[in-house]
Amino acid sequence: MSTSQRVGDEVTNGAALAAFLAGGIGAFALALIVILNEVGIFSAPTLYGPAGGVTGRTAFGTVAWLVAWVVLHRRWKDRQVDPGRVFTVTVILIALAVVLLFPPVWQLL
Amino acid sequence: MDTLFSGRSIWTMVHGVVLGGGALMALAAALFCLWVMRTADGVTVGAEVASRRLAWLTVFAAVALWLTVILGTYIIFGPYRATPPEGATDLTQYPRALLRSTPDTAWLHSIAMEMKEHIPWVTAMLTTAVAFVAMRSRSKLVSDASLNRMAMTLLGISFMLASVAALLGVFINKVAPLE
Repeated sequence: MSTSQRVGDEVTNGAALAAFLAGGIGAFALALIVILNEVGIFSAPTLYGPAGGVTGRTAFGTVAWLVAWVVLHRRWKDRQVDPGRVFTVTVILIALAVVLLFPPVWQLL
Repeated sequence: MDTLFSGRSIWTMVHGVVLGGGALMALAAALFCLWVMRTADGVTVGAEVASRRLAWLTVFAAVALWLTVILGTYIIFGPYRATPPEGATDLTQYPRALLRSTPDTAWLHSIAMEMKEHIPWVTAMLTTAVAFVAMRSRSKLVSDASLNRMAMTLLGISFMLASVAALLGVFINKVAPLE
């Protein structure tokens, strides 16, 4: 993702775009964890027995989202970032996540 | 005397009606606010007050969504997926087993509940992102067209996904209520 000049906090959009993109990354990360679980490659540990594996999958997805947010925020908070590219990537990640979280898709794998 | 609602039933209503329903209403209201305020300059007194209220509205939606998914996952999902004892014929206390017991209702677990397990977490993440931006850059959210468009898009996606999850929850609860 390209960034341009550093400018003051008052006028930059970096922190906002970091939050939006991190949302897309978090959604995709959760979907990826679910898919990896479905195909038997990776199974997140269960955090709460009665609820089963969903507790581990969602916890891992949430951690991935927060890590992505922290990293992007630190890199972009003082920058002016191209909103068009971030918007496109964010929407694509969310769209992929929604498709991958649709159970009939798992049958195709 | 029998109680009108069991504890599990009350938790289900708090999850679906109070928190989930509250989040849906807040998301719809926030979307409407973003839409009507999108041409505001964000610096006038009226816009300042309105953008502050919009920010708190998105925070409310995000908190309600997180509470919905946490309650749904850690309080309600356990009893839902409980395994019935060997040879049990009355499955009314075991919603997942009840849904899977007939081909007509099996999809309510294999598709509907499987979606409900994960999709709402996406809505919580996206709404939290918008709430963060709304709190941090209140005036910019309504005066910057690109930020406004992105926030509306993410809230719109959250609203649609949360609505689908809520509808599927209604279907599941109609066939196999957690009682």
